[in-house]
Amino acid sequence: MKSNSKVPRWEVGFCPGLPWLVSVGIVCLVLGCAPKQTPTRGGSTEGPKLGEGGKSLKLAVIPKGTTHEFWKSIHAGALKAQQELKEKGREVEILWKGPLKEDDRNEQVSIVETFRTQKVDGIVLAPLDAKALVRPSEEAIDAGIPVVVIDSDLASEKYASFVATDNKKGGELASDRLSELLGGKGRVLVMRYQVGSASTENREAGFLEGLKKSSGITVVSSNKYAGPTRETAYKTAQNLLNRFGSQVEGVFTPNESSTAGMRKALEDTKLLGKVKFVGFDASSDLIEGLKNRDIQGLVVQNPLNMGYLGVITMVDVLDKKPVDKRVDTGVAMVTPENMDTPEMKELLNPPLDRYLK
Amino acid sequence: MTANSSSLGRARRHEFGRLLNIIGPFLGLLFVLVIFSLQSEVRSHFLTPDNFRIVATQTVIVALGALGMTLIIISGGIDLSVGSVIALTSVILAVLLRGGKPPWMAFAFAVVLGGAIGFFNGALVTSLRLAPFIVTLGSLGIFRGAAKWLAQEQTVNTGDTWINHLAMTFPEPSWLVVSPGVWITIALAVVVAILLRSSVHGRWIFAVGSNEIAASLSGLRVDAIKIGVYATAGLFFGLAGVLQYARLGQGDPTVASGAELDVIAAVVIGGGSLSGGEGSVLGSIIGALIMAFLRNGSQQMGWPAYVEEIIIGAVIVAAVALDRLRSR
Repeated sequence: MKSNSKVPRWEVGFCPGLPWLVSVGIVCLVLGCAPKQTPTRGGSTEGPKLGEGGKSLKLAVIPKGTTHEFWKSIHAGALKAQQELKEKGREVEILWKGPLKEDDRNEQVSIVETFRTQKVDGIVLAPLDAKALVRPSEEAIDAGIPVVVIDSDLASEKYASFVATDNKKGGELASDRLSELLGGKGRVLVMRYQVGSASTENREAGFLEGLKKSSGITVVSSNKYAGPTRETAYKTAQNLLNRFGSQVEGVFTPNESSTAGMRKALEDTKLLGKVKFVGFDASSDLIEGLKNRDIQGLVVQNPLNMGYLGVITMVDVLDKKPVDKRVDTGVAMVTPENMDTPEMKELLNPPLDRYLK
Repeated sequence: MTANSSSLGRARRHEFGRLLNIIGPFLGLLFVLVIFSLQSEVRSHFLTPDNFRIVATQTVIVALGALGMTLIIISGGIDLSVGSVIALTSVILAVLLRGGKPPWMAFAFAVVLGGAIGFFNGALVTSLRLAPFIVTLGSLGIFRGAAKWLAQEQTVNTGDTWINHLAMTFPEPSWLVVSPGVWITIALAVVVAILLRSSVHGRWIFAVGSNEIAASLSGLRVDAIKIGVYATAGLFFGLAGVLQYARLGQGDPTVASGAELDVIAAVVIGGGSLSGGEGSVLGSIIGALIMAFLRNGSQQMGWPAYVEEIIIGAVIVAAVALDRLRSR
């Protein structure tokens, strides 16, 4: 056994605690220089202004993930609300924290739990999963921290309000556009996003229901899931096109990562531009695709408005003002034809820089 | 060694070194707690019973995995399939519950399935003479795939049963203080620690991990011991799967991906040696707690997720450096 080896331990490991000290040193270093979430505190010299509630509000805003551009818009919207409230003399602190991967339910549950002990004043949550986030959210609500749900629904009755895109309507817009492009007949492929994500499931349902309006359209595949990232979406799309590529005339994908992955796969198989392609959500490269007419339509939400209304609704809840149980944040179809109109431009290029520093 | 070091002094310093080895992880945990407590903006939320409850509940799954992994690592092996086994057993449990089976039966089946997978891994390691790293790298894929297949690539939702209460952060009845899952983990940790230290079987595991040939020559049935270790560890992984189900309220085939790394890191931070023959249950549990507190504290500090990852990575490297120093 090693403990009986001839070399006494104290000789080689004269200080077994040394690596610990080193690691502690690293922690100290990081403590000293880690970026703190300070963009939200203003007025350093005069101290925080007091709002109507008599104190500065701490609001946690929890996205599904932090890598998609979509969530950056939500973040910008939340900060926009903060700025506006500040102009009205209301001090609000936005704590922005989400899991890195959009399928990490466990991590998001932990984040909600930790904000609960941190005793924030309210939680604005985009739940990764309609069911898995119910317990931690209800624990927070029971502890007196109201929860406003954004983007995707939560299978609970206790939350204060649901602020989101009407996803079903978005799916229907996509089906209308695709059937218009196909002249009401053809074969269509749907690559779903991810299981348990209520928002995209509604888009898929809205799309499939909308297609029923035109009897000439058949769906060749609608049971494959893109998974959480562009990479997984790309792989799934490659496999799907390998199997169905020669038989489809139209494609629909229900979110940013699946649309981007599908676009890459279409490019590989030289189908880009030949197949009518309608996606969901806009990022800079997808807008580029629209410009090149690789993509014939993108359903866009208004994430900036969603982040904004999420925070505003939360402040209303905390002020005990009446709020709607369901708040719609708007959805529109952008096409290569209408993309240069001012209102579409604002949707496609939300003024993020104004809020995100 | 200097000339004036008497043998008595040497023994003392030897003792001191051993002591440091044992309390090293404790010191690490203490440092983490102290450092976050020094931050005034965090202290009032960090050092609260509620927060300790939450961290304890969050640690349960990694801690149960680390219990099993401690046995395997002491025996000189490794198991990379933990995360997949957790996913598979949580999915099985959910599927059985959805099919209307009584909760205790689903619970038992999930745990036993974990044990069976461990047995399978152990049997492959010993009969094919393959490196455990390779065998379990394979089973990582096999059982992750099996979980997705069983769940039909969807999360499996079920109604509430008493199993869900195992992971409640605020348990009912409230005199339990922490969730039943935490108590189960503590009880099992105590049992495993005692058996490992004091029972013949426990010493066999150390013997196999320290020097397999010597153990074999002195008449130990090394293969049987190894299979036993993997199977026992599998039971713990199965139980971790049950608690994972309880935590999310659903069987999720993609859950706990990468959990094997957390589990192994917990054991290594706690003094386990990847070359076998060393490790302790207490150390591994503390290792799991260190990581959980680091995550929790980092979030309360408002740091972005990458800062946590960098810190935890640094702690792992430091702990492995410790491992090297000791086993040189």
